[in-house]
Amino acid sequence: MDLMQGTLDMLVLRTLILGPLHGYGIAKAIGNLSEGAFEIEFGSLYPALKRLELKGWIGAKWETSERNRPARVYRLNPAGRKQLVEERAKWNQFVAAVATVMGVE
Amino acid sequence: MGLFRRLQYLLPGRRAAEEREMRAEFEALQEFADPRDLGNLTLAAENARAVWGWAWLESLAADVRYAVRVFWREPSFTAVAVLSLALGIGANAAIYSLIDRVLWRQLPVSDPDSLVTTEASYSMPKYERFRDLSRDVFADAAATSGPVDRDIEGQPGRVEMVTGNYFPLLGVQPHTGRMLGPEDERVAVLSYRYWQSAYGGAPVLGQTVRITKAPFTIVGIAPREFFGVTIGNAADVWIPMAAQPAVMPGRDWIHDSHSFFANLVARLRPGITRERASATLTPIAIQLEMERLAPDAPAFVRKRMLSYKLELKPLASGLSSLRNRFSKPLRALFAMVAMGLLLACVNVMSLQFARADERRRELGVRLAIGAGRSRIVRQLLTESAIVALAGAAVGLTICSPAASALAGLISVSGQPVRLDLDIDWHIAGFVLAIATVAAFLCGLAPALRATRLAVSGGLHQGSRGTTAAPARRITARIAATVQLSLSVVLIAGAFLFSFSLYRLTHYDTGVNRERLLVLDVDPSEAGYKDAQTGPLNRRLLDRLRELPGVAAASYSANGIYTGRSAGTSVASDVVDGPPSPNLSASYDRVGPGYFSVLGARLVAGRDFDRHDDKTAEPVTVISREFANHFFPDGNAIGRYIYSGKDRLRLRVIGIVDDIRREARRKPERLYYIPDAQTAGGVFTTRFVLRTASAPAQVAGLLRSAIRAENPALRIVSIDTADQLLDRTLDLDRVIAALSFAFGLLAVTLAAVGIYGMLAYDVARRTPEIGIRMALGATRGGVLALVFREVVVVGGAGVAIGLAGALALGRLVEGMVFELKPGDPRVLAAAVVVLAMVAIAAALAPARRAASLDPMRALRAE
Repeated sequence: MDLMQGTLDMLVLRTLILGPLHGYGIAKAIGNLSEGAFEIEFGSLYPALKRLELKGWIGAKWETSERNRPARVYRLNPAGRKQLVEERAKWNQFVAAVATVMGVE
Repeated sequence: MGLFRRLQYLLPGRRAAEEREMRAEFEALQEFADPRDLGNLTLAAENARAVWGWAWLESLAADVRYAVRVFWREPSFTAVAVLSLALGIGANAAIYSLIDRVLWRQLPVSDPDSLVTTEASYSMPKYERFRDLSRDVFADAAATSGPVDRDIEGQPGRVEMVTGNYFPLLGVQPHTGRMLGPEDERVAVLSYRYWQSAYGGAPVLGQTVRITKAPFTIVGIAPREFFGVTIGNAADVWIPMAAQPAVMPGRDWIHDSHSFFANLVARLRPGITRERASATLTPIAIQLEMERLAPDAPAFVRKRMLSYKLELKPLASGLSSLRNRFSKPLRALFAMVAMGLLLACVNVMSLQFARADERRRELGVRLAIGAGRSRIVRQLLTESAIVALAGAAVGLTICSPAASALAGLISVSGQPVRLDLDIDWHIAGFVLAIATVAAFLCGLAPALRATRLAVSGGLHQGSRGTTAAPARRITARIAATVQLSLSVVLIAGAFLFSFSLYRLTHYDTGVNRERLLVLDVDPSEAGYKDAQTGPLNRRLLDRLRELPGVAAASYSANGIYTGRSAGTSVASDVVDGPPSPNLSASYDRVGPGYFSVLGARLVAGRDFDRHDDKTAEPVTVISREFANHFFPDGNAIGRYIYSGKDRLRLRVIGIVDDIRREARRKPERLYYIPDAQTAGGVFTTRFVLRTASAPAQVAGLLRSAIRAENPALRIVSIDTADQLLDRTLDLDRVIAALSFAFGLLAVTLAAVGIYGMLAYDVARRTPEIGIRMALGATRGGVLALVFREVVVVGGAGVAIGLAGALALGRLVEGMVFELKPGDPRVLAAAVVVLAMVAIAAALAPARRAASLDPMRALRAE
């Protein structure tokens, strides 16, 4: 399934609230959390990570990964946490509005 | 935050680091991840770079390129816009740099905020006592003579004498060599500017520089930005205070407890406030004054001293007599040039509006094929920014010359002001700031409108612009209103300053200035002592009177139009009490026949005569203002006044009509004492001479007559009274001329604005007017239709302008002579002028409307 435009940022923030992850890990986590619905390549995720970094919502540091290899690990900033709350609220409104329009099948 | 990060990415180093980081991250992931899960890393890198803002930078570059192409195609618009902004910005920068230097700038010394001074002057013995007694609150206290006129290597220059702790206290670091220290005696430090102008910046350390006749060894060059602590009066050379008698032969100031020539420069101890230090030092200052007092001083003098309060003044931005005198004129000039810039902006804005209309098609096409509105607004704003920046660049080139020319017109006591007016970061920053404001002022509204227009109707070629019309009419009206209101303010200012100038040059000063010369001779350098100056003055006077071409001559200590004055406290038989401002008066010591030489009118009593000498009763001639104040009952002749601390009793023998010694001074409480009855002690003397022929021819004879007495006598200046008076009015003239120039510009722009607005209106309403005429409207009715517009716009403009003129009037209060800024005659004159201009501008469009042929007008539809 393709992602709807503009939802990727929110999904990344949502994933990072569970704990710090490297870029590849985030892509995998989104796949797992969506039970395989969204298969995201790291390559398409990367610009979004840079964008969120630039906005100050996430930060990154070099750390040793679980396989004892160095990796750039991203974590949520307080500003990102706030942003996630906002996006979630908007998303809920959006879903409710679409559901109202579409009606019950 | 985002912008700051973006700007960071413009740094090549930062971008390279980001690039390395990205590659490292990709490599680290490739170590353990499935390549298929990673996807297209080249594309990922490309998109990431776009996020960092290269795309942003590239679009800016594209905007700039596009704007330059547009300007290339429209050279006349570009030239007009850049030039008008350049003049506006340049004039603002020039005034700003003057204000910055004179009023605001902090001294280039360490921790200027803890520096203080006092209003009092100090003799060196008094300074030393005060310094020793103030150690609780002052970390240190230094004394300076301020820059004094002395010959340096035979050329006129300014020398400042300072105590050894002066430079260490200020924390001034030398440009080369060293500054002066406590042990120094015959050494000198040059100012950077003097070093450049006199030595061309060549190595000079160890060389000898002669000040008057005394040799000094040059030990250092002051830093470039340091001009001393007296603003507008820069020193060329600093020498130790100990060397004062060497450069001023015959005058020993450093041991004399009556020569109050030094200013105090002190640094507060950390944590001590000015208020606390003032409170601590007040009893010390009182004690010092009491010590100096004669034992038989009257009780009220002692009482007054006990109530004295010492007040420390901040020295962070230097000592300046300029500040008090020029803060108002400079602020008024600033307001004027700011209005000039506003006019330029309005002008460029209306040009932009016109261009926006012409570019509707181009912009419409771009919007139609998918360009975002914000993208196009950004591009139009880039155009305005380029115009404003180009204007700023041109403006900067005229800033320094304009500021120097203005500074050249400011003089203090006949001395031209010396200020460093080079362009620096303060001014560059200010120019950048106003250029940014100007860019938005003249660009934002047209850009927003152009894009809104283009969305709706841009592609309907040939349409009458039904959507465009109301907006364009409104903006044209706003522009015309702004231009009109600024015109009212500026023209009112121009009238006000011109009337004031006229009065200043034509009112009765109590002196006949025709063929009147003022000659300033300084006998002290030639070695004359105080007691010898009296006989010297009389000998010189005899020589001058013998000269052919001199009809009459006399002298006084302070002369007229010299900016000098001496004052003391006075009492009379009628008005008495402890000294207070109410009992202060000025005095002058005059030679024989002083009043008749000046052409001053004696209104009662008699002039001094040769019987009024040392052996006779001390007498005085008082000014009319003095008489009115101290003898309100009207009978002054034969009564007594009591002069100064010693209450010297003087009998009033005459009243002279008020002599205005300065151009804009109110009548003074002034009393004159005959030179023959004073003990001498006149340092410099102003001779006044009435010539029989043209004053210029006599000037050479005067020089040789003075030299014949003693070649060492220094002639400070020879000027006609008219020249001296004129010189004090230079700034008034500049302000009047500038407000006229700006006023004329504003009026012209307003006329063009009104004409443009009405012409467009009439053209657009041609069918409507045709219908009205066909239905029986008279020519008068059509004329009224057009003039209604003028009345609405003109009324609004004049109302706003009058409000502005009244508000800004407070700024020039006291600057205009015997006129109130809100003078109804001045405001009425401005309104009448503008009403006439508005009607003249409306005449052509109105006539066109009235002479329309209804049939053709209707057919045109």
